[in-house]
Amino acid sequence: MITTVFTLLGRRLLAAVPILLIVSALLFCALRVLPVDPAAMSLPPTATIAEVEAKRREMGLDRPLPQQYLIWLKDAVHGDFGTSIVFRRQAGSLVAETLPATIELAGLAMAIATVLGIGGGLLLFYLRGRIFELVADMGSILLLSIPEFLWGLILLFLFGVVLQLLPFTGRLSPGLSQPHITGFLLLDALLARRFDIFWSAGQHLILPAAALGLAFSPAIMRVLRSSLFDVYQEDYIEQARLRGVSERRILLGHAFKNAALPTMTLAGVQFGFLFSGTLLVEVIYSYPGMGNLMVDAVRNADLPLIQTVGLTYCVVVLLINTAVDSLYVLLNPKLRVR
Amino acid sequence: MTRMLARRTVLQMVATAAGVGALGRMADAAGNDAVTIGWPNDIPSWDPNQRFTPDAQPIFKAVFDQPIDQDPQLKLIPHLIKAWDLKPDGLSMAVELRDDVVFHNGDKMSADDFRYTFLDRIKSGVKLDTANSWKKVEDIVIESPTKVTMKFNAPAPTAPQWMAFLGSYVVPKKYIETEGLDNFLRKPIGSGPYKLVEYELNSRIVLERNDQYWGPKPKIARVTIQIIKDPSARVAAIQSGQVDCTVNVPVREVERFGHDANFAAELNPITRVILLQVRNDLAFADENVRLAAHHAIDKNALSKAFYGGAAVPLSVVATPGTPAYLADFQFAYDPKLAEQYLAKSNYSPGSPVKVGFAASNGQFPSDYDIARAIVQMWKKVGIEANLEVIEYAKYFELNRAQKLPEATLYSWDNATGDPEIFGGYLLNPKMPFSAWKGMDVGQKVLDLFAVADYEKRIAGYRDLNRFAVESGASIPLLQSVLTMVRKKNLAYTKYANGWVLPQSMQWSA
Repeated sequence: MITTVFTLLGRRLLAAVPILLIVSALLFCALRVLPVDPAAMSLPPTATIAEVEAKRREMGLDRPLPQQYLIWLKDAVHGDFGTSIVFRRQAGSLVAETLPATIELAGLAMAIATVLGIGGGLLLFYLRGRIFELVADMGSILLLSIPEFLWGLILLFLFGVVLQLLPFTGRLSPGLSQPHITGFLLLDALLARRFDIFWSAGQHLILPAAALGLAFSPAIMRVLRSSLFDVYQEDYIEQARLRGVSERRILLGHAFKNAALPTMTLAGVQFGFLFSGTLLVEVIYSYPGMGNLMVDAVRNADLPLIQTVGLTYCVVVLLINTAVDSLYVLLNPKLRVR
Repeated sequence: MTRMLARRTVLQMVATAAGVGALGRMADAAGNDAVTIGWPNDIPSWDPNQRFTPDAQPIFKAVFDQPIDQDPQLKLIPHLIKAWDLKPDGLSMAVELRDDVVFHNGDKMSADDFRYTFLDRIKSGVKLDTANSWKKVEDIVIESPTKVTMKFNAPAPTAPQWMAFLGSYVVPKKYIETEGLDNFLRKPIGSGPYKLVEYELNSRIVLERNDQYWGPKPKIARVTIQIIKDPSARVAAIQSGQVDCTVNVPVREVERFGHDANFAAELNPITRVILLQVRNDLAFADENVRLAAHHAIDKNALSKAFYGGAAVPLSVVATPGTPAYLADFQFAYDPKLAEQYLAKSNYSPGSPVKVGFAASNGQFPSDYDIARAIVQMWKKVGIEANLEVIEYAKYFELNRAQKLPEATLYSWDNATGDPEIFGGYLLNPKMPFSAWKGMDVGQKVLDLFAVADYEKRIAGYRDLNRFAVESGASIPLLQSVLTMVRKKNLAYTKYANGWVLPQSMQWSA
């Protein structure tokens, strides 16, 4: 079983190389044809046109596009993704600084989405044929139609402004200092045995994570329900009933296990989207992650930073997909045989 | 054992949670030794010489000191330097430094730090924006530990203004050289009224009062600057009490907060202008069309509609109270006159002249809405504008490639109020901002860059401002406003350039 998983991992990682090359080339070309002038952006207002031209040459922007890409690729292979125009720091180090916060947010959001999605899916299925089925169905469609940034604003207004129950700016309350160990604040707080920081960080994470989780849970909910409908057509369900197994046990002990596999595949795909969805939510909640950094980069036409953040999103999505596929193989004996 | 520890841990967490909640409430109750500010943008770097970012100046001014400061009315006042003397030819400036200034690590500031900031580190090749603003500095001669003379290779008439402007902060030579630039960026020290105690990229900046400060000590001991980029989130943060004051909130929110007894809400006119940058070719090669375009714009209506009437309509590219503002010069809103100008060139509402018009959307408050309103005003007199949205960053590339349309809506910030940094930069054909490439105006600007005598220079810019508007080379619209909402009992000093300085804040009873 482990061999199968490792073989799959190896194949996926090999396939990731050309994918990353293609994505990086597309991203590079798309950014370079944008009508923005990174040379002018990198100089102060007092710079003359001649100085801007000199800067363009220094940045290699006067060279043919393929040549520019190859230079970038060579540097990137050596870990140098260029210097951010805005921050004048290595783009790679900026991403490394902000990525843990985004992973933490996306991880908790995915947990919320999974719990809500599975709970909601089971509830929707349980209510089939009952008087509340239509209401629950409508509710799930309504949830599906609200995007993450709208959830962000709704939750912020409700729990932050009206009820004033939860903080909604940054990662920590004023007066608390972040321990810098791994960059993952919750983990760092536990490692430093600072439960006050853990509590504050958790409070700050709840609203943005819930906004993302709520937006992505309905898809899981609906796929689980339809998978359960399919599973309930199988003979073994009827046989279980004939053996006198309770409906609850059939649902949770038999049907759910089989319906969970397609749901898990969808959840994996959703996690990729959810990761990209952090962008707007991070801005709304002033959450210092990679999405917030991307917004700065786009606003200032910071091409090296856009390129690095874009590529990081791509790598993360590829890793998530690989992880989900491996998990799928682990859980599905049919695939292991093949 | 494990179970006991786990239970203890859980109990500890619950107790801590209760404690944190209580502490939060206590902080609210005490409140007079700390302030939390909701700020729209992070700083680009902790090297204050590195990037010119107007929004970051109040934060830099809390941690670092400038050689010259400005009072709330923008008059230059001594700061790290007690006195300065710019020679009549503008080729040198003698400077006398204070001798009681210490950096946050206890090192005394001296002439070496001054020379290092404005010459040595620029020449060393570190990429700094100050390398551009101080490129005329040829040498800085140290006469004594407190006396230096700056030598310029060309007249530098605005050297004193630039000493109080973007990027001009004295940094500690010894500390940077011994600790290295990376460590300085991680743990920056200046000589300002606050010390940086914590910084998290794109999230927050925590400052603590510098008790060794040579100048007036700040009233508030701890300042947390919470970076909140989204305007709605800033509104929510002040509304819910998560911050004590915030800036750049939508105008309608200022009006709403104005009715709440717990808050003070302000629309403060500042030294930022909103204008149309125009070309001197295409359909705007015709002066009649340019003047008609200007006469057709009802600036009062724009101010009322989008800035609650607080944005002052401008007739020149300068704001009221600044040296080259012309209080007695008014460029009239006169749609009939606009039609007459257009008729001279055979255009009318029935046979309009077609022009391109670019504007940003979200770069400054109501920018796109202002542009749409102007399109309607122009349509009435016979100018048909094709409005396109461009990113601020795109402006430079389009301008460089001579691809900007006839008019572009633009916003320009000038904390000094000096006319060189208004009309001088905006109409200088050698700079990337000027869409106007005609040398009729351009040569006047270039000549003024070499005038060292202050009175002569200001008089020259006053003439230039009038000439540029009367010839249609410049279409100023409004003085921009800074919106601010704060708790009623939080006082601060209002600066004409929009600085909101933590060191000027204090709680009242």
